[in-house]
Amino acid sequence: MGSKWVSYKSNVWVDWCPGCGNFGILTALLKAFGELELDPSKTVIVSGIGCSGKLPHFVNVNGVHTLHGRAIPFATGIKLANPELTVVVCGGDGDILGIGAGHFVALGRRNLDIVVIMHDNGVYGLTKGQASPTLPLNAKTKALAKPNIQQALNPIMLAVSSGYTFIARGYAFEVEHLKNLIIKAIAHRGAAFIDVLQPCVTFNDVFTAEFYGKRIYKLEEDRLWDPVVRRAEERPTKILKAIEKSMEWGDKIPIGVFYIDSTTPAFEERLSDRLKVYPKVSPSNSIITTVDSKPIINNELFEKIFSEFIVKVQLNKHDTTVQ
Amino acid sequence: MSYSELSILLGGPQGSGLETAMLMLSRALAYRGYGVLADREYFSNITGRHSYVLIAVSTRRLPRSLTYPVQLLVAMDAETIFTHFENVDVGSVLVYDKEVEAKKLTELSSMEDALRGRISNNLRTSMLGDDVSSLLKSFESRRVTTIGISYQEVLKELVERFSLDPRTLSKYVSGIVTSSAALILGLDREALRYGFESVFRGRATVVEQNMYLADLVWKELREFEGLLKLKKPEIDVEKVLVATGNDVVAMAKVVSGLRYQSYYPITPAADESFLLEKYELSEVGGTIVGPIVVLQTEDEIAAIASAIGASLVGARSATATSGPGFDLMVEGVSWAGMNEVPVVITYYQRGGPSTGLPTRGSQSDLLSSVFSAHGEFAKVVLSSGDHLDVFYDTIEAFNIAEKYQVPVIHLLDKFLANSTATLPLPDLNTVKIDRGLLSKGQEGYKRFSLDSLVSPRVFLGTPGIVMWYTGDEHDELGHISEDPVNRVRMYSKRIKKLQLIEEEVPRDIKLRVYGHVRGDFCLIGWGSVKGVALDALEVLEKKGYRGAYIEVKMLWPFPAREFLEAIDGVELKRLIAVEHSYGVNIVALISMATGLVISKKVAKFSGRPIVLSELVPAVENLLTTDANYVVLEYGE
Repeated sequence: MGSKWVSYKSNVWVDWCPGCGNFGILTALLKAFGELELDPSKTVIVSGIGCSGKLPHFVNVNGVHTLHGRAIPFATGIKLANPELTVVVCGGDGDILGIGAGHFVALGRRNLDIVVIMHDNGVYGLTKGQASPTLPLNAKTKALAKPNIQQALNPIMLAVSSGYTFIARGYAFEVEHLKNLIIKAIAHRGAAFIDVLQPCVTFNDVFTAEFYGKRIYKLEEDRLWDPVVRRAEERPTKILKAIEKSMEWGDKIPIGVFYIDSTTPAFEERLSDRLKVYPKVSPSNSIITTVDSKPIINNELFEKIFSEFIVKVQLNKHDTTVQ
Repeated sequence: MSYSELSILLGGPQGSGLETAMLMLSRALAYRGYGVLADREYFSNITGRHSYVLIAVSTRRLPRSLTYPVQLLVAMDAETIFTHFENVDVGSVLVYDKEVEAKKLTELSSMEDALRGRISNNLRTSMLGDDVSSLLKSFESRRVTTIGISYQEVLKELVERFSLDPRTLSKYVSGIVTSSAALILGLDREALRYGFESVFRGRATVVEQNMYLADLVWKELREFEGLLKLKKPEIDVEKVLVATGNDVVAMAKVVSGLRYQSYYPITPAADESFLLEKYELSEVGGTIVGPIVVLQTEDEIAAIASAIGASLVGARSATATSGPGFDLMVEGVSWAGMNEVPVVITYYQRGGPSTGLPTRGSQSDLLSSVFSAHGEFAKVVLSSGDHLDVFYDTIEAFNIAEKYQVPVIHLLDKFLANSTATLPLPDLNTVKIDRGLLSKGQEGYKRFSLDSLVSPRVFLGTPGIVMWYTGDEHDELGHISEDPVNRVRMYSKRIKKLQLIEEEVPRDIKLRVYGHVRGDFCLIGWGSVKGVALDALEVLEKKGYRGAYIEVKMLWPFPAREFLEAIDGVELKRLIAVEHSYGVNIVALISMATGLVISKKVAKFSGRPIVLSELVPAVENLLTTDANYVVLEYGE
């Protein structure tokens, strides 16, 4: 595989609506993989259900298209059992923050080295435009009979409080910018989250490309914006700043990196404190059988390992009772 | 007089060290060569509710079943005496705390009103007063030796001798209970010391304190030593495992090469994962066993999803749960079926529906596990009859999962999970690890190749190979396809693996026959029914009925051919199905697979295990009357 991003594209026809924000996300992802020259056999995209769920099929790296909301736990098993893989999760806002919100929070708590890219379009597209967890209260997109009666949640704020150590927001049609965010997220060691604002041309007539085009600005344009935690003591301050920034949503909408913390140990490190051989020796590369298909534990080893359960019988020599 | 078999009941409030007492006594008995099977019955509660341990002890073999009445009752509190008053045998022994003699039934706040009402009625009918001393008096007419000992007095001496904080004293009641039981059974103090040491490993002071308690008990109860003297053991074993079913599954998983286990805490499954965590990495004599990643997930959905993920990259992977958790996993099972992923789900049934009886046993999830998940696909449901079978079957579950690339449900229950048994050490020379058709792949590798029913499996992450998985219908590469021709071929491929499994899985894994099939009756069951069914055959034979037990081990795909062979020539009316459920649902599976409708059923769904003393008359009843359905209810 060469380093040209085009070669990461599979032969499967991309069946998203013309003008869909997903095209921008796919392009940014392919470019990022290309620049990082990722080995396709050591890379895996794990997705949920919906339009974004189909993304792995369009990319020529390993793809696991899972259940609605469950991309993160599938990815968790993959990453823990084979820590040498680069694992990227793609899911919609309904997938990640609606049905799968518990898993989103859990990944933050673990700080496992996985990148979560959330395709945030405010609607459930494949089921014809129902309101998603990021559609604001009273918003009325064209598919809704009445204005939205449920509030939106703030993905960045949730990611901060869940414990993600790389948190960013991108915009689907700022492809270069998004590509750079993806590259940084993959390079980061720990749980990374990118909230990608994504117009849905068919069902969301409120948060359109025109809407975002007028409002977004890049955080890095502000020279004073510094989201990096360099020492553990800085965490509370940086967390508060990220939260404050995440509440900016109106005439101006920031994109870019909200928070980076490399001082919190990744889950792999926490595990290797317990499992001394991990991650070098891992569930996917450790030996479980001898050459003749026997377990590596034989009778002798079994008795040594599980000695606490084994009782050696000592008949009572003084017992005068008959049998 | 000496005994070759005894039933013992130890009772007390939850959290008072009853389980510790059971373990210490079981290990002391095992040390001296006796066979033990101990069932733990407890409420969904941390402290205070009544719990008890029913123990079968044998000098002749490793016990397979439990039975009433009991010959020895050791009561930590008054509630135990009231609750188990009717469970004790004529001529039995009761050890109790003298301090509770004045306690009245109405004062037992931890007792459920329903039970209090029943006991109160019984006492009235028997013209007995409602306090402990009235019960004690009535025991005399049943020739029960009542042995009172003031726990407080004994503990006071312990406090003085070791200058203990009196607030910690409740921890030592288990020592009194264990010592008293040992004394009555004629166990020596060296055996008792072994019991203490094996439970309080590395805590020499605690062992000494308990031995001091034993000395006090011996001094106090000297005249009763060996009152229920056990005969000399004649079981021919040098070493035994003393373990619960949860322990056995964990040990077997380590042997099987498990490398990933996910779980969400649930009774009665969680102890297995706890133990696995302890053995996540072992290094013995230069051999490294592991690492096993044991992950406590945020819910059961994540448990199955992450176990599937780990399996995709080549780890032997499993999760463990009970009914409510399994219900949440079902969509994941469907994904595993669709994507031909080997994954093992250890499923410990408890009493449903909903939260049901969360700490009590049942086999009522047979149909919901066999028919779980939407769509049609190959999966396997295996069951095990006793602790030793549990060991071998756990390994077999992984072999079947990987050989046929299917999810395997290992259907156990609370009785197997929580009961402690003495069992022979498994022989690992007979164990094989079969990882199925593995490949390193080649250019253009197709994960779902239609060239064979089981496609060669390349682990995701293998150098040079890229593959796709999807829950959508897919082509050979794993890309989404809604093409009708592909659909028919792929859909059939997945389902036809069931035929392969039916043809290839050894008979011994599918079904076992014990006893004389062409005799007077034939019991049919699965799982934890085995032990009590086998013991019932022996008792019934002495009563003039020759019978057999057909144990269906592989519940899905149902071994119809083997079943029909097994009952060939047996009249339908001689078949009796036995199950811990209301519906005795094995009958429905048999009917579906063979067309035979078994009408005689023994059911138990009170949440307590079937005991020998109730199964034998139930079978006799079905053999000698027009009755077709007997519901068993014995046990508090």
